Order: sequence, then structure tokens, then C-alpha cells
Amino acid sequence: MLSLQHISKFYQVGGNKNFVINDISLEVEEGEFISIMGPSGSGKSTLLNIIGMLDEPSTGFHYFVDQPVHQLKEKQRAALYKQYIGFVFQAYHLIDELTVYENIETPLIYQDVKGSERKAMVADMLDRFNIVGKKDLFPAQLSGGQQQLVGIARALIAKPKVLLADEPTGNLNSKQGEEIMELFRKLNKEDGVTIIQVTHSEKNAEYGSRIINLLDGRVESSKKL
Amino acid sequence: MVWDLLVYKPNAIIMFKNYFKIAWRNIVRHKGYSIINISGLSVGIAACLLIFVVLQFEISFNTNFPGYKNIYHFVTSQMQDDGMAYNPGTSPPAIDALRNDFPQVKFAALNSNYGSQLTVGGANSTNSANDRKFTEKVGVFFMEPQFFDIFKTEWLSGNNAVLSQPNMVVIDKSTAIKYFGDWKEVVGKTLKMDNVLTLKVAGVIADAPSNSDFPLKVLVSYITWKQHPKDYGYANSWDNISSNNQIFVQLPANLSVENLTKKFVPFTKKYLEAKGGKTTRVHILQPLNELHFDTRVGNTLGDHLTSKSTLRTLSFIAILIIVMASINFINLSTAQSVGRSKEVGIRKVLGSSRKQLIIQVIGETALIVIFSIILAIGLAEIALPFLKNIANVPEDIGLFNMGSILFLLVTMVVVILLSGIYPALVVSGFKPVLAIKNKITAASIGGIPLRRALVVAQFAIAQLLIIGTLVAVNQMNFVNEADLGFNKNAVLILPGYTDSISLSKLDAFKQQLLQMPGVKGVSFSSDAPSSDNNWGQNFYYNHSDKEFTYPTFLKYGDADYFKTFGMKFAAGHGYEQSDTARAAVVNETFIHKLDIQKAEQAIGKDIKLGSGKWIPIVGVVKDFKTNSLRDAIKPIVITARKKVESQAAVKIETKNLKATVSDIQQTWEATYPEYAYNGYFLDENIAKFYQQENQLALVYKIFAIIAIFISWLGLYGLVSFMAVQRTKEVGVRKVLGASVFSIVFLFSKEFMILILISFVIAMPAAWYMMNKWLQNFAYRIPLTAGVFVLAIVTSSGIAWITVGYKAVKAALVNPVKSLRSE
Repeated sequence: MLSLQHISKFYQVGGNKNFVINDISLEVEEGEFISIMGPSGSGKSTLLNIIGMLDEPSTGFHYFVDQPVHQLKEKQRAALYKQYIGFVFQAYHLIDELTVYENIETPLIYQDVKGSERKAMVADMLDRFNIVGKKDLFPAQLSGGQQQLVGIARALIAKPKVLLADEPTGNLNSKQGEEIMELFRKLNKEDGVTIIQVTHSEKNAEYGSRIINLLDGRVESSKKL
Repeated sequence: MVWDLLVYKPNAIIMFKNYFKIAWRNIVRHKGYSIINISGLSVGIAACLLIFVVLQFEISFNTNFPGYKNIYHFVTSQMQDDGMAYNPGTSPPAIDALRNDFPQVKFAALNSNYGSQLTVGGANSTNSANDRKFTEKVGVFFMEPQFFDIFKTEWLSGNNAVLSQPNMVVIDKSTAIKYFGDWKEVVGKTLKMDNVLTLKVAGVIADAPSNSDFPLKVLVSYITWKQHPKDYGYANSWDNISSNNQIFVQLPANLSVENLTKKFVPFTKKYLEAKGGKTTRVHILQPLNELHFDTRVGNTLGDHLTSKSTLRTLSFIAILIIVMASINFINLSTAQSVGRSKEVGIRKVLGSSRKQLIIQVIGETALIVIFSIILAIGLAEIALPFLKNIANVPEDIGLFNMGSILFLLVTMVVVILLSGIYPALVVSGFKPVLAIKNKITAASIGGIPLRRALVVAQFAIAQLLIIGTLVAVNQMNFVNEADLGFNKNAVLILPGYTDSISLSKLDAFKQQLLQMPGVKGVSFSSDAPSSDNNWGQNFYYNHSDKEFTYPTFLKYGDADYFKTFGMKFAAGHGYEQSDTARAAVVNETFIHKLDIQKAEQAIGKDIKLGSGKWIPIVGVVKDFKTNSLRDAIKPIVITARKKVESQAAVKIETKNLKATVSDIQQTWEATYPEYAYNGYFLDENIAKFYQQENQLALVYKIFAIIAIFISWLGLYGLVSFMAVQRTKEVGVRKVLGASVFSIVFLFSKEFMILILISFVIAMPAAWYMMNKWLQNFAYRIPLTAGVFVLAIVTSSGIAWITVGYKAVKAALVNPVKSLRSE
């Protein structure tokens, strides 16, 4: 489903190349649940952003559902991304000016989903995450865990094949974090959503089917659970 | 862009709804910025809307006549010492000569009367006190019937043929209602004019529109003028050129203006040089649609002319104001966009394209602009009744018509694009990864040089208008308080009439006035020392037949003229009371132009006016301002000529002024029952000379205040934003030991530099502009440094107060608080 070959990302500092990602190759099959770990500055988030097409590698080849991403134009990339990928962030990144309902709805608007269908999808998602009662609240009126639930609901609303999560539990307490991880496992097992998460927590990493450790922009180790 | 969104995407409406929601919530959430944006913009648009209405009204002058592009005004010009002199009028024989020589062209002549009295007979025909008397400042003409062949006018009753007979009069509908109460039954009624003519009403025409220089109110047949040469100064001679006697021309399709104008050269030769003389007279054709703006020719038949430069100044100011308001917008929106970077980042991650983001930002701008325009319309409606103080617009001028609505739409689109595109490009260009992590800062979005340039532009405009205001207000104060060389205060002017009965009553009237306790002096004269009369005449000096290249100007007054107006003699004295010119008084300019050094040397010398008698100079008065302060002092001869001394000047004690004036009015009405009382104070009349300039000074004042307001808003917004952006920096500096003062200095330094730069731009522009304006006045204030210093002090002061307040607030925050959030 996803293939990175010899991906590097560097910044030119004076005459030196400062590598953030240094020649990483990675294959991801559909239905996998991958946890990326590593110390601060090891390139975890950058790798995730490259996978999510928010960032571009300096060199290397990037294939996603058999499309050569490194050759696509911005528009095509955006189309691909809209169709297949959902993103969850550590800081939730909800739009403060929109209600819970509207936040969840927004991706559908960008994907031209028709009004009635869209309403049904959002209602379904609210129901599934048990946040129907919160739909007219603004993000600032929710707890962190609730905000992250909305964030995940928003990421899933367009039925992505891949869910990318950048420290999804980083701002949550352990109980809330556990609930989110249970949710991820369920999504992966029951709905077949491919999940790639960046995490600091060993415990959360073990929810995955594979753990990849990064160090200084390289893959230090990779183990299947 | 918007188009394909609407056409191809079913969700366009939903998307707009979503944007609208966000925009609205943003406006509400950032109340401060929104208020700054909306109030600045709406004040600016309201001001521009009003200016537009004025410009539209002025520019539309005389365009209501069908085929106006083919109608021309026959103008006489003459080469004089100081360049071409233009006269809107011509000589009475010209009309017949033109018809004779150019049969294929349509000509029509008229002679205008100013201040004529029309009398409607009362019930008792023997007692004229019961008559209803109307004095018409403008709008009374001796008119040829052919005029209406050229100027198509709606006839409510009768037709233009009635004007071919003597003693016939045509009036317009509103005059008919004013005089007779009903316009439908006026035909056949009698109207007396100046107690000289008895006229029969023979037709009624529709009212002239307010944007016409032809206020056709009372039209007496032209032939009536010819039949009363003495009463109305008709002389069938090529020597006279009267600005009142005007000719209008309609060209046939196959004749160009240039061709006809060329043929006027042999024409003038033929008629004027027939008697062996030489003439410098040249005739030109002035297009009807330029009549209203051509201040060279001047002397309109209507109530005002407007120079193109005034209109240009107004449009220029309007554009400056709109630009300033848009600058606020750009500055604040780009600054604010930093705070919105996160939202933009998220939207990009959720699948928004750049195009959609651009539309969103422009949409938000549009919302604010539309809101501002609605508010601006309200403001303009409130200000509309006061518009007549700064412009010559009719009382009932409306705000809405096709033109002004189009103007608002164009303004809307231009402002939206002007102030929306740049912020839209900046915002939509954010990199999502950076944006989401709040790594966008004011510095990283760039455009700081642009924002600095915009602030400079704004301050330059404000300073330009401040300087303009100071200069205009100073000049008008100077003009209003200038020493005119005579005393204009508490002098009541009673315009009179020169028919023989009126003249015979003068002496008795004067005696009656002098017996009133409040009256200090009475003089009869042709006009006041300062007036807009220009009665020029060629003259001879000291029994020489040498012709001078310039005429002298005449004022006629009785022996009390000098005392009544408090004029001072440089040498000699006034003359004895006389009915005709037996002695003359001249002014200093007159003798200086003759190269006489000392006033005494002129005393006893003889002068001759035109073909008159030689009379001695008995006095030289110190120079007084002969016209408005726009014009240099002219050489003047003052002498007696009872026949034209129709105007009474009454010098009044300032206490009990009101009672004295009402006594004078009663005496007038008793003495002249057949004439309406039209007394006015001289100083008020002199102030009217400067109506346009005073209006312009007021315009400058109003717009300088608006400009200061808008630039202050912009500065305030920008500084508030800076204060938020630099919270951390201020905190760190305070921890490192910075004082409050040093932090205030840090904030103000940049703005002071920007103000200095803007001053360097504004100063020469203002100097050029105001210097040019001052050239309108022969007597003017010098452009001193003080005005410029005051302008920069004012703008710096405003900046200091704004920046200082915010900076002190930022500096006083406990650093523990400001650094904790990091």
C-alpha cells in the first residue's frame, strides 16, 4: 500500500547537509498498525509528515497505492491525500471557530459530499463516538480527551484507508490515552484501517503490529509483534 | 475563480456558508480589529460617496439639453497687457451680423439681468404698497425666440413665437406659482419689471433642472430690450462689449468648430475694421459642456461656476481617503493572519486547496467591506444635509441614482480586491506543517517592508491633508481679516434703481436717514470700494493725447463716499457734492502706474475719461482692495455721476444695530413703495467673494480629520498587534533589566522613523499643491516652515500617544506572566 525507498530529508547549512531523515526505506501493507518511536529529534514527525504528503523529501522514491508520489503534481497529490489519508495530532488542532459538528463536517465539504449524505455521515460518526450531546459545543468547551475524540472522528469521517497519528495521546492523561488506543485497535481490527502512529510511550507502541525505532534520521530497529 | 466554484461544485453554497460562519465568528471574536477595520472603511467610503455625489452633480451640468454636444457659446477674447482676457459676452450688433454671414448656422442672443424686480399688481392698482415685489438675483433675461430652437425646452403653455413680439414675457412653472399661485392660468396676466416695463405673460415653460447654468425664470422678449435702450443699456455699437449680452450657437452637422472659428477672423475684420480701426478681438466657441468649468471666461448666467481644479482636488482627496482605509485593512489582515495560521494549516491538512483558502479570505474581506458600505450609506445619509456647506448642491440632492449605486459597487469590488488579495495570498501560502505548529510569525510571513511602506503612505496622506488644512485656514483667516484699506464694518448697502423718479427721491431719502440717531453717514454710489464690479474705461492724463495700454477702473460716488467708507487720503481731499464729474479722486496704484512718485504731484493735474471733459485730480486715496483679494489692486478713478449712484451705503452705530436697520427698512418702504427692500451688510457681501475658497478650506478641514482618524486607527491596530507579537521579547528584556522607558522607546523608534520618511514625502507634495492654490490670490500668506512643523508635530504626537499607551501597557506586564505561556 505504501512504499518509501531511500527517502532522505536534509537542510543545507553552510556547506553541510543537515539530515533529518537519512536514507529510510519502508514498506507498509494494508491493515498494518505501525508505531514509530525514537528520542526527540530522531525524525519521527518528519517521517510521518512525508508519509502524509504534508512534507516533501529531499531525495528518494515514494509510492502510495501504486502511485509515484514523488512525481505527482501538488494537485494530484492533494487529491490522493484527500481520498486516502486521515490525520490526528497531539494538540488535536480543531478549528476553534467551528463547533464539534462543523469540525467533523469540514473534510466532507472539501470532498464535495452532498448535503444529505454528509449529514448522515456526521450523525453516524457522532453516534459512534458517543458525542452527540456535544455537537454544538466549541472545542474550548471540551476536555482534552473529548477534543482528541473529535479530532479522530474528523480524521475518520471521510473513510480514509490510512490514519496517521502524531503522538495522539501526548496531551492526555493515561486513562484517556488508553481509551484512544483501544479505539485505534478497534479501528484497525474491525474496520481494517491502516494506522501509523508516532509515540513516546512503550505501552502505547505495543498496541501496534510493528514497532519501528528511529535514531538520528535512520531506522535503528524494527520488530514485528 | 468564484465562477467555476459556483458552476462545477455542488457544495459551493455550503462552502460559502461555512466560510461565512467562520468569517462572522472571526469578526465577533476579534472585535477590536473588526471595529477598526469597519469604522475606518465606512467613514472613508461615506466621505467618498458624498464627494462622488457632488462630482456627479457638477459634471452633469448643462448635459440635459438634447444635442448639447453641438451647442457652443460665442466668446469674445482680447489680447491685453497681462495676456488674453475672455469675455462671455459680445456686442449687440453681432447677432444680426452673424446671421447674415453664416445663414447655415443657428444663433440666438440673450441679455441677462441681475437683481431685477418683478412686480405683481395688488388688488388696489393705485397703491403700490400692496403690490407683491420679487427681486430675482439671476434668471431674468431678454431672450430671442431662436434660443429655444437651440435649447429644447418643454412648453407648458404657449410657444417660443410669443417672444418675437415686444413686451411679452415667458416664465417658468415654479416662478409662475411663486408670483401668481397657479401656473395654469397665468397667460394673459400682467407683470411689471423694474417699474419700467409692463409685460404680458405669454407662455409657461417647465423648470430648468438644477444642474443647468440657464436658470430660465423670467424671459422677456429680446426686442423689448432694444426698445428701452436707456433703461437697460442697449447701444447698437461694436464698441461696447457687455458680459450680459451673450450669443449661443448650434452647429449644423457638416460644419466643424475649427472651420467656423477660422471664419470669425475675416468676420471681425469686416465689421470692426470697417471704420478704419484695428482690433485685437478674437471670437472663439466654447463648448456648452465646458461652460460650467471654464473660469477663464467666467461670469455664468447661473449661480456658480466650478473650476476643474476644484473637482480634481476633490476626487484626489476621495481617492486618498479610500486608499488609506484599504491600507488599514491590508495591514491589519496580514498582521492578524499570523494568529490564524493554525486554522489555515488545519484546513490544508483537511483537504482545502489553495484556491479555496484564497476565496475564503477574500470572502471574509468582502463581508467586512459590505458591512462597511452599509454603514457608510447610513453615515452619508446623516451627513447629506450638511453637504451644501461644502459644495454648491441643491437642497434636495439625493444619495441614490444609477451612478452612485454603480460607484458603490465598483468601490466595493476595488476595495475587496485591493485589501483582500494580498492577505489572501499570504495566508493561503502558509506551509501546513509550519502553520500547524504555530511556527508562523510576523517576521516569517514577510511583507514587513510592505507594511512599513503602507504606514508611510498613510502618514504621508494625513500630513498632506494637515498641511493643506493649515494653509487654507490660515489664508482664509488672512483674507477675512485683511485690512481692505477702508472700513467695511456696520455698513448697510441698499441697492437702488436709476429711473428718474427714484433718483429724484434720493436727496430727501438721504436727509431722512441722516436724522436717525443710529446713522453716522450716508453715501450714494455705483458700488462699494471692494466689489465684483469692473467698470473699465480708457483715459488721458495731463492734456496729452497719449493712449495708455491699460484702462483705468471707475467708481462713482457722492461727496460723502470717502467719509462713509473711512477711506484715507495720501494727498488732497474729496470733492464737492456734484451731479456730474467735475473733479476726480484717484488711488495710489493709479499714480504709481503713471510713474508719479509722490501723491502730492498728482494733485491739480487733469484727467479725461473716454470722450468726457478734462477734470482735475483733487485727491489721492490710499490704496484699498478694489476687488477680492484674489485680484491685485486696480488703478481707480472715483468721481461723481448722479445718474449711476443708485446704491445707498449707510454707516450705522453698532449699538442698536437691529433697531436702526428696521427703521431704515421702514423709511425705504415709505419712500419707495414700488420697490422691494433688499438691504445687506457690506462685510457679509465681501465674505461671499470667498465662498468657494471657504468651502474648500472646510473640505480640507473635514478630510484632514478623517485622514487623521483613519491613520490613527491603522496605527493603533498595528501597534496592538505588535505588542501581542512582542510579548515574549518584552518579557525577556524585562528579565534582563530593561526599564519601562526603554521598552516604550523600542516600540516608538520604528514609528518615528516611518513618520519622518512620510514627512519627507508629504512636505514637497503639500508645498507644491498649496503653493499652487495660493497663486489664486494676489494677496496671500507666505508658506512658512511653521505650518510644516505643526504638521509633523501633530502626526508625531498622535503616533506617540498611540504607540506610547500600548507600549507602556506591554512594558508593565509582569514578565513571569508573559514568559509562562512559552
